[in-house]
Amino acid sequence: MELLDRYLEAVKKHLPWKRQDDIIAELRANLEAQLEDKQEALGRPLTQGESEDWLRQIGLPRQVAARYQPQRYLIGPAIFGAYIHVLRTALLWAGMIYIVANVIQIAATGGEAAQASWVLLGVPGLLFTVAAWVTLVFIVLEAVGRQFPEKMPKELQELLGDSTKWSPAELPALEKAQAKGKRPRTYAMAVTEVVFGFLATGWLLLIPQNPYLLMGPGAAYLEASPFKLAPVWMTFFWSIVALNLLQAVWRWIDLIRDRWQHPGVVRKVVFKLGGLVPLVILLAAQPQACVLLKHPELDHERLGAALEQINTAIHRGFQIILAIVVLELAWEAGNYFWKVYRMQPGE
Amino acid sequence: MTFNENAFENLRLELRRGCLTLAVLAQLREEYYGYTLCKALAERGLVIDESTLYPLVRRLETQGLLTSEWREEEKRNKRFYRLSADGERILGQLVEEWKSINQSIQNIL
Repeated sequence: MELLDRYLEAVKKHLPWKRQDDIIAELRANLEAQLEDKQEALGRPLTQGESEDWLRQIGLPRQVAARYQPQRYLIGPAIFGAYIHVLRTALLWAGMIYIVANVIQIAATGGEAAQASWVLLGVPGLLFTVAAWVTLVFIVLEAVGRQFPEKMPKELQELLGDSTKWSPAELPALEKAQAKGKRPRTYAMAVTEVVFGFLATGWLLLIPQNPYLLMGPGAAYLEASPFKLAPVWMTFFWSIVALNLLQAVWRWIDLIRDRWQHPGVVRKVVFKLGGLVPLVILLAAQPQACVLLKHPELDHERLGAALEQINTAIHRGFQIILAIVVLELAWEAGNYFWKVYRMQPGE
Repeated sequence: MTFNENAFENLRLELRRGCLTLAVLAQLREEYYGYTLCKALAERGLVIDESTLYPLVRRLETQGLLTSEWREEEKRNKRFYRLSADGERILGQLVEEWKSINQSIQNIL
């Protein structure tokens, strides 16, 4: 039967060459016996359509051949956990180092927003390359470990997860129960926070050279207006940059230390109190020193009253913001201490 | 195939996988070649795809649980399989395990 020969030929192409003749000879004997049975039951040879249906039922040649092979995988279950861990860590470090290095370079050279865009566009390519290399290394480790287990150094075996050498005492502490109705924090969310934290820092660093990134068309108006921002705004700006960088680095460290699911209280308090610093810096400045005249000797008489109004409004605005932030902080601190008080034993 | 049907099919295949090995080993206390083994199992109510059975038999042989021999029958060369001495011992252990699991499942159900 020509169709059966073609079928067996197709299966043979997907078999390992060492065993293919033996497997095909056996498969042929089995299928021919089955075919004879079918033809005997019908009392006639199978039609073309019946033959096709029969072979279709046996299966796709590639799949039939695959069943004669041992289960294959590039990275096996023994090291897959280590692979995921290393992949996450490598992606995290590579991404952060790339972004931080480029942000520093752009800031140091007084780069423009377009440069930052190119840096951002380079991130997916970099991450893909790092992931490909990590995967390749683990594929090689898997292949070597399977073929020549005796050649794998003991240290490497332990590093990849020796199931006999771990201490239950080193398991992380129990996590707090998730509040009802509150979605659990995912790893992706924690990574996104870190990435956006660094990106925001990069964006902030570009603002002094490219004020339109913050003010949009307002930057052109400010440029053309008789007013200018007082030096205290630069102190305010750098305190925000420092705060942002501190938050991003802290979140990054928590991520690497596997403490991303439940950030510590200290981190929350530091972030909240840190948020007060830029406000205090502005309010500590003289009330009339937020906005200045570019040419006071020419414009003071004409614009002095307007300038005073602007400075008073800015000062009042920041006083209100500070009051709101302090109240919010007090409310959260009160809630926290109330919870601690209620959780005390014997209560 | 709906999600539930798919889930059931996966669980069914998982449940059958171990049972098939036991059935094949038990059936090969007598000598068979691939196709007649398939028919013998089907006659006892256990229908297995040829594309699953034939590779399974070869794997069991590689593991030393079966022995095989090429022999001519009805003017055609066929590979006949039979349980090896190791296979006999392992089958006995598996049957004991099967009985124990079966008893436990019966109790649970």
